[in-house]
Formats: sequence, structure tokens, C-alpha cells
Amino acid sequence: MSEVIVVTSGKGGVGKSTTTANLGVGLAMRGKKVVLIDTDTGLRNLDLLLGLENRIMYDLIDVVDGRVEIKKALVRHKKYENLQLLPTSQVKDKSAVNPADLMALCDELRKEYDFVIIDCPAGIEQGFQTAIAGADTAIVVTMPEVSAVRDADKIIGELGRSEKDNIKLIINRIRPAMVDSGEMMDMDDINDILAIKCIGQVPDDIKVVTSANRGEPVVGDGDSQAGKAYENIVGRLLGEDIPFMEFEKEGFFKKLMKAFKLSKD
Amino acid sequence: MSRDLVTIKGGKDGFRLLVDSSASMEEIEAEIKKKLNENPGFFPEGTKFELEVADLDRSVKKGIGQILSQHGLGVEMSAKKEPPPAPAEKSQMPPQYVIQHGGNVEAQEMTVVEHTVRGGEEITSQGSVLIMGNINPGAQIIAGGSIDVRGTCRGMVHAGAWGDTSAVVIADRLMPTQIRIANMIARSPDIMEKSDFAERASIKDGQIIIEPIER
Ligand SMILES: Nc1ncnc2c1ncn2[C@@H]1O[C@H](COP(=O)(O)OP(=O)(O)OP(=O)(O)O)[C@@H](O)[C@H]1O
Ligand SMILES: [Mg+2]
Repeated sequence: MSEVIVVTSGKGGVGKSTTTANLGVGLAMRGKKVVLIDTDTGLRNLDLLLGLENRIMYDLIDVVDGRVEIKKALVRHKKYENLQLLPTSQVKDKSAVNPADLMALCDELRKEYDFVIIDCPAGIEQGFQTAIAGADTAIVVTMPEVSAVRDADKIIGELGRSEKDNIKLIINRIRPAMVDSGEMMDMDDINDILAIKCIGQVPDDIKVVTSANRGEPVVGDGDSQAGKAYENIVGRLLGEDIPFMEFEKEGFFKKLMKAFKLSKD
Repeated sequence: MSRDLVTIKGGKDGFRLLVDSSASMEEIEAEIKKKLNENPGFFPEGTKFELEVADLDRSVKKGIGQILSQHGLGVEMSAKKEPPPAPAEKSQMPPQYVIQHGGNVEAQEMTVVEHTVRGGEEITSQGSVLIMGNINPGAQIIAGGSIDVRGTCRGMVHAGAWGDTSAVVIADRLMPTQIRIANMIARSPDIMEKSDFAERASIKDGQIIIEPIER
């Protein structure tokens, strides 16, 4: 059974492309056949996160306009040959693709791939409607921030109106210390408001940025908390029951101090 | 949509009638009759409309008065064109709502919403509203009657939106950004506490009060 997943958020910059790249690589590492579609036409960057920019020959627009076949436009990942990227155009705008185009494309791709993952542009305009058109599942990415949660809520309502009822949540860029001190919304508050199934809690991690700059998503990096979190999400997408991890909040020294203090009184 | 020659708005002090001054008396008459017949019984006998007369002809004003009185309705002249500007705080939403003409508008009707109302959604009802779910931040419920939330209310709720001061708001957890009843507004404390019991907001002695209730 293949699954078409759209990664969306409403608010920009919360980590949709990062999530798409990491889930794509993570699923490929588990042996799945995966294709990623960048629908952020005009602002494409999924190719950069995957380190594939220099290999792009054709794009999504060439495919929907019938200039080339899908196969020709797909860019194969350097390391995982069961992972492909369908990039979009850097120069066209979002009106170049419509929902029917994407639906047809997804139906074509689902015959060959286990997972089709669509990176959605920010906002709730035409680009969003196009990106979600062919999807079975939506993953809503948000951050522990009032405005990001507000937008996620709006997007969930919008998805419901488009009859997309299989919606999952990823909370990204969590800073455990700030959550603890009450300066950041905690997971229960977010889940209470959004009330959809949460499949991932990803900490804020500098390694996400440095690895993105190298074009190698952080998933699978055992030294990175975010890398582990993405690996867990991949497992959950494959139906595994994985508990949410506890984040390391404090350095070793601070922990020791605490232990010491505790034993004293 | 073409501009309506006649618009009826429900405001906090009752209904206002807005008439396009460029329309002829015949057009106005036809339009008013159409609007009234669309919703028979919606405007109870004796309802007074505030008519904005700034740029209306005297004969037109008189004509409108006659049409309304044939339907058992009254009219009051008002010189102002638009309601006074809302204070900055509530500029997001003027204290008046266009009455949606179409189908299910009957006085005393109850609207039941069987899902969570999410940010950006708005539910307007002439009667009371029962929500079987949460009202999320950024959502808005406007009811002619009372509002009952079987869940957590975090959005903006306006009960008795057309002037009914006996309307109430009830929620399992009442923590809205704003509660409005009739023409009164109570805003939430800046730091919201989670309430563990059902609460009811109502108007008592000229102000909105909130008290715990059993359910
Ligand atoms: N868990 C994380 N820890 C640290 N930085 C992160 C994390 N997730 C994302 N970022 C950074 O946040 C920025 C925005 O991420 P990304 O481009 O994935 O967001 P987006 O939702 O796709 O944005 P847009 O709406 O512009 O498409 C990037 O610089 C990325 O490296
Ligand atoms: Mg992006």
C-alpha cells in the first residue's frame, strides 16, 4: 500500500522542508521507495536540503506541461537510490500548477513508490490547495509558539473542509529548558488545542542547520537529538509504536549539582 | 454579488435599515417586501428599524415607513450614517453583524455544532448555539440567544448578539479571549487560569459575571 503525504503548516519557516527531507531520507534508509515533490514553486529549496541542486534537469512544471515524462524529471539521491526528488521551478509561480495536475501526478507515482511526500508552500492560498489535492495523509508541522499553533489550527480546519481527515502533528524546534521554565508552550497545551494525533516532537538542534547546509539531512545521526526524533517519526509512519523520547535538558554538570543538592536535604 | 439596495443589519440596539439613496421608491418597496417575506415571522410585530436618513428623500422616508407599518413594524429615523467607530480594542470585529438571509433563520432556533470550531472559523446563529467540542483561539461564535460549549472555550463568544441581555454563555472550561453578552464586553485576564469546573457567564446588575455551575 502506498501513501501520499503532504507536509504543511500555515505559518512559514516552521520546518516543512526540513521535515520532508528528513522523512524522505529516513524512509529510504529503511528500504522504502520514496519520491519527494517540492511544490513551493518560485521558492524551491528541497533540492538544497538534499544536496541535489546541481543534478536538476527538469522540474514539476515541465512535467505538468507535458514537456517531459515524470521519470526524466526525477532526480535520484546520491546515497539512497530508492529516494527520488521531483524539484520545482525557481522562476515560475504557484499558478503554474493546479490541484488536478497534482492529483494526476500523485496517482501516477503511487503505482511505483511506497511513499510520495509533498513539501507544501506556506500560507492557505492556491499553492496550499494544489499541494494537498492528491494526499491521503497530511502532516501538520508547528512550533511551540502561539502564532504557529494558531496557524496550524487554521490549517487543520482548512484540511477538514477539503475532506482530508487523516491529519497528524509534528511539533518542531522544541526547547525543553524553555518549556520547563514556562517560557514556551508545553506539549500538552498544544495537543489540547489542536487535538490531532501527534507523531513527532523534534527539539531545536543546531545540527539540523549544519547538516542542511551540507545537503545531508540529520536523520540517522545518532549524536543528534533531532536526528533521533526524525528516526522515531519514520518508525511511527511505518506503524511502530515508539514512545516519545525525553529530551536532555541540562548538561551533566548541572544534573550532578542537582543530585548533590537533593541528597543534602 | 451586486450591491443590495436595501440591507438589514442587526446591531446591538436592534435592527438598522440601510437604503441606497440612488434607488427609486418602487425598487426600495419591492426589495423590502422581498426581504421581509424571505423570513416570515423573523421580525416580531412591533420591531422598530432604525433608518439611516442622511441622504434619503423625504418622500422615500415616508414610503418606507408606510411599507413597514403594513407589516406591523415600526421605523425610527437616525441621522448618523454609520455606527460610531468601535474602540481600538474591538476594531477586529464591529459590534454588528449582517443577518444572513437564507434558509434556516428562525427565531429561537438552536444551532448544534458537532465538532471543534478552529481558529478563523465563525459561526453565526439567530438562535442559541450548542457546541459539542472546543472553541479554539481565533474562532468566533455569534448567537442571538445563549451559547453552550461542551468542551473548552478559548475563542470569542457573543451571546445575545442582537440585544438579549438574558442570554448566557456556558462552557465546561470557560477561558475565552472575550465574552460578549448583548452590548457588554468582558475580556479575559491577561494571564488565563485553567478552570476545572463548568462555568456560566451572564449579565447581573449591569455587568458580566462568571460563576461555577453544576452539570
Ligand atoms: N529542529 C530544528 N532545529 C533547529 N533549526 C531548525 C529545526 N527545524 C528547522 N530548522 C531551521 O529553520 C529554518 C526553516 O526551516 P524550513 O525551511 O524547513 O521551514 P519551512 O516550513 O519549509 O519554511 P518555508 O515556509 O519558508 O517553506 C531553516 O533554517 C531550518 O534549518
Ligand atoms: Mg519550505
